[in-house]
Amino acid sequence: MKTVREIAAERTFLLSALASSSITVGILAFMVFMGLPLLHEGGFFAILGNAWDPYRGAYGIYPMIAGTAAVSLLGLAVAFPLSLGCSFLTAGIAPKPLRGVLRRFIELMTGIPTVIYGFVGIFLLVPIIREFFRDGSGMCVLTAALVLGVMISPTMTLFFRDAFDRIPRAYLNAADALGASRAQKLIHVMLPLAKKGMLNGVILALGRAVGDTLIALMLAGNSAQVPSSVMEPARTLTAHIALVIAADYESPEFRSIFACGVVLYLFTMALTFLVRYLAHGEDARI
Amino acid sequence: MNHSADDTIKIRVTGLDFSYRKRPVLKNVTADFAGNSITALTGPSGVGKSTFLMTLNRLWEDLPGASMRGKVEIRLQGRLRDIYDRSMELTELRKKVAMVFQTPNPLPMSIRKNMAFPLKLAGERDKSAVNARIEEALRMANLWDEVKDRLEEDARALSGGQQQRLCIARALITEPEVLLLDEPTSSLDRHSTAIIEELLTGLKERLTILVVSHYLEQVVRISDRVVEFAGETIVSL
Repeated sequence: MKTVREIAAERTFLLSALASSSITVGILAFMVFMGLPLLHEGGFFAILGNAWDPYRGAYGIYPMIAGTAAVSLLGLAVAFPLSLGCSFLTAGIAPKPLRGVLRRFIELMTGIPTVIYGFVGIFLLVPIIREFFRDGSGMCVLTAALVLGVMISPTMTLFFRDAFDRIPRAYLNAADALGASRAQKLIHVMLPLAKKGMLNGVILALGRAVGDTLIALMLAGNSAQVPSSVMEPARTLTAHIALVIAADYESPEFRSIFACGVVLYLFTMALTFLVRYLAHGEDARI
Repeated sequence: MNHSADDTIKIRVTGLDFSYRKRPVLKNVTADFAGNSITALTGPSGVGKSTFLMTLNRLWEDLPGASMRGKVEIRLQGRLRDIYDRSMELTELRKKVAMVFQTPNPLPMSIRKNMAFPLKLAGERDKSAVNARIEEALRMANLWDEVKDRLEEDARALSGGQQQRLCIARALITEPEVLLLDEPTSSLDRHSTAIIEELLTGLKERLTILVVSHYLEQVVRISDRVVEFAGETIVSL
């Protein structure tokens, strides 16, 4: 028999679970509802595919989707090799005392506020890019992607490390006892066995890159055009929301940010489901 | 003092101290082990038998908080060498002083890939040579007939006894001179145990075997010599 206290506790927990999950659904519903007028004007897909030209009444968010894709994918491309190298170093290539120090540093880096990265980017990287390429203001897709890559790489590195740490000791012993060098052990045993966990890290880092607002806002230049090269400025979905929200509350521009919200929301949800799906696969085999 | 004059000595341990997290595990252990013989290491749990094995192929070095003092020499290619000397390449040592663990640890790959793994590490690319050595090692471990038609299957699909023989075969493929086994039959049934005991007896012509064992009958059946561990040191030789 359950006691009254147990039942009360169960109900309370159920209630809090329901509350938090309904908030998630509620947010989506709210964004769809607020974006409805825009949807009536041209259909949802038209908004996704159209250019942004408020003077002609066009409130498409396609440039922002393209900007987000460009900045976050390039950021991911910067972060991946960085994280791979860092995780290799801390997982065994570096001498033992150095491994611990490196690991601490990486953990510390995950805690640095995004705005600091943006700040450093503006004063350090923007002038360098401007001088080096002599093309534009220095605020462009490349600058934002470089800083974004550095920003998400500690998270990615920790995921990689975590994937390495979950490899059963027996496999590592086998590799050691068979005469594998540290690098061979990493390449032939650890990397193939950690693949799934590492993929999770990449996906979640992509989620972070897509969701990040400040870096792109501060460094990408914010022009609402589809960038035709990495040297051109771009505006991401998140930066668009931040910029529009700062300006007004009633215009059709304002409505468009809800479409941005819906796109971001659905994308993040898709990533979450992908991670869940991958977590269920069979045992790794090399 | 010239030890190397005595050619029958394969392993010479002198004044070995080992501690783990500042707790002494082995104290001033000194022992010689003759070549082409099976030595059984016995004693209660936690007296450092497995640790002792690990000092012979330096596998303890990655354990946090472990430290060792003393000298370990092993006769490799006819020359008694200090295995902790700078000139001793770790990967080379591990190929010559192979180890089999208590729980069979095939890698999560096919039987063939498991067998080929040490050769791949050594940079062997000649496919037919690899296949020939795989067959030779599997035959030595009395496993060839059972697996020759299923080499591409996942090694983890084998029975426990077969997995352990696979691990022995995999250890043999680098042509080691010393084979260290840490309770190799403790997770196996009687029948599999008997097969492995017979296998080890047959192998001593080729190499020197040190086996940690809890089972007195096993010790009596297969070993030429018994070394008993008790509380940080060796009591009987």
